Amino acid sequence: MTQRELFSPHFSIWPRQFVFENWSNAVIRLWPHFATSAIVSICTSALTLLVTAPAAYAVVWLKVRGRAAILSFMLTSQMLPAIVFVIPLFVLFSRVDLVNTLPGLILGDMTFTVPFALIMLGAYLREFPYQLVEAALVDGAGQWRAFFSIVLPVTMTGMITVAIFSFLMPWGDLIFALSLITESGLQPLTLELYKAVGVYGIDWSFLLPGSLLTALPAVVFVVAASRFIVAGFTRGALH
Amino acid sequence: MRQLEAIRARGATAPEAGGRATPRRRAAWRTALSSYSFILPITIFGLFLLVYPVLYSLALSFRDATVETFVGGDMPFVGLSNYEQILASSTFWQALENTVVFTFCSILFQFAIGFLLALFFQNRFPLKNVLIALLLIPWIAPVLTAANTFKGLFNEVGPINQIAHLLGIPTVPWLASPGFALAATIVANIWIGFPFNFILLYSGVCNVPPEIYEAARIDGASYWRRVAHITLPILKPVTVAVLMLGTIYTVKVFDLVWIMTGGGPANTSHLLSTYAYQVGFSILNFGQAAAIATVIVALILSLNLFQLVLQRR
Repeated sequence: MTQRELFSPHFSIWPRQFVFENWSNAVIRLWPHFATSAIVSICTSALTLLVTAPAAYAVVWLKVRGRAAILSFMLTSQMLPAIVFVIPLFVLFSRVDLVNTLPGLILGDMTFTVPFALIMLGAYLREFPYQLVEAALVDGAGQWRAFFSIVLPVTMTGMITVAIFSFLMPWGDLIFALSLITESGLQPLTLELYKAVGVYGIDWSFLLPGSLLTALPAVVFVVAASRFIVAGFTRGALH
Repeated sequence: MRQLEAIRARGATAPEAGGRATPRRRAAWRTALSSYSFILPITIFGLFLLVYPVLYSLALSFRDATVETFVGGDMPFVGLSNYEQILASSTFWQALENTVVFTFCSILFQFAIGFLLALFFQNRFPLKNVLIALLLIPWIAPVLTAANTFKGLFNEVGPINQIAHLLGIPTVPWLASPGFALAATIVANIWIGFPFNFILLYSGVCNVPPEIYEAARIDGASYWRRVAHITLPILKPVTVAVLMLGTIYTVKVFDLVWIMTGGGPANTSHLLSTYAYQVGFSILNFGQAAAIATVIVALILSLNLFQLVLQRR
């Protein structure tokens, strides 16, 4: 961070003592977009977990038909670049008036968080001691009750790690925001910064502090939860 | 106790229902039904937002979907015409070549840097865990941050050229020169991707039992011999995973190149993804863009198939 911060004075059209002003200007200008990004990322993360947590559990531990199909389909989806989904989604969403809406952007972002989250949660849940659930079922608890009162608490670390990643991915997304949000006022942070490179050339005194501010949540999460993140990384990728 | 009671209760109800095990069957039914309710949301999501769009994109690639036809709603079927036009465009072939070069160079350097760092982090030193966390930032931070920073670094009057000027090396307008723009994006992508290689290789290196190194050292094997004959063979499965995932991630790159060069100058730094985006959203020819997307899907699936065949052997 600090190393990269040092670069900004080079481009600053202001003298050195005004450098802090660039930062405050960037914060003021980006504040509403910060809020938009937060709404989109929190909703994407929450919905992703809602969809994938029960599914990952079922795919790993329950006898359901089609579990192999779901898993291999999600693996394939994870390999496809966003552009494969962006083009049809733009055409489809413009027919059902989801272009230029935050729900539309959230659904678009979920096309990459859901496959990712399912695979990573699957890796976590494989280590879950299923005997706990069996005991509860014998006690007469329903599947869902067992899921909420046993599976979720026991696998909380994994759930939180996946939630963090499902938050950071839409936070950094550009392609879906760029294609699905064309109206001003709804741009997330990345789109606002992308559009800042306008016809009048590049205003580095805004662009660089702004870009570094965009990285803030990622830096906070890395510092706060580096251990979980490292563990999550290796697990999701290698299993 | 409660378990026993539950079993007793179940035993008591079964004969009461008279003859056939209907309640048990009904219970089994209910269990199956609730099991399926776990995968219901993801099935609906997958069908509507993953399967349907990909199939729709495939259908779109055979249709004339430009601004005029798109607004009117009837997009006439044009057969393979979109594919013919794409394969006839030199930008497509340039983008394909760039994608291969971009992927190969990125992965080569990311892996080399990641591997050397992993070896270095085998040593114990203060603040090691803090450093590991800091090293992860380029990977976790939004691509936009790195893209704009490197755009600044490679700027005509940016630090790289300022340093070159100080050293008396002739300066190059990196992002505005056909030969250098792609190279600049590769450098930026190496910076973004090396932490991923590092962290996976590092976790692999940590699993090597230290006794093996000790034994080899006693036998008089030099450091690099130990690396070549112990570390590398043990890391083989991790290496395969890293290279495979690295290839997938790199073929997916869009934001970085789109922000840094936009595919320019004169379309020389396009990747397949940025080219498809430009055809779709700048030229507004969604049929052709969908055709490029289909080519990308075909390439990735065949790469995947190739990897499966390799693994079987």
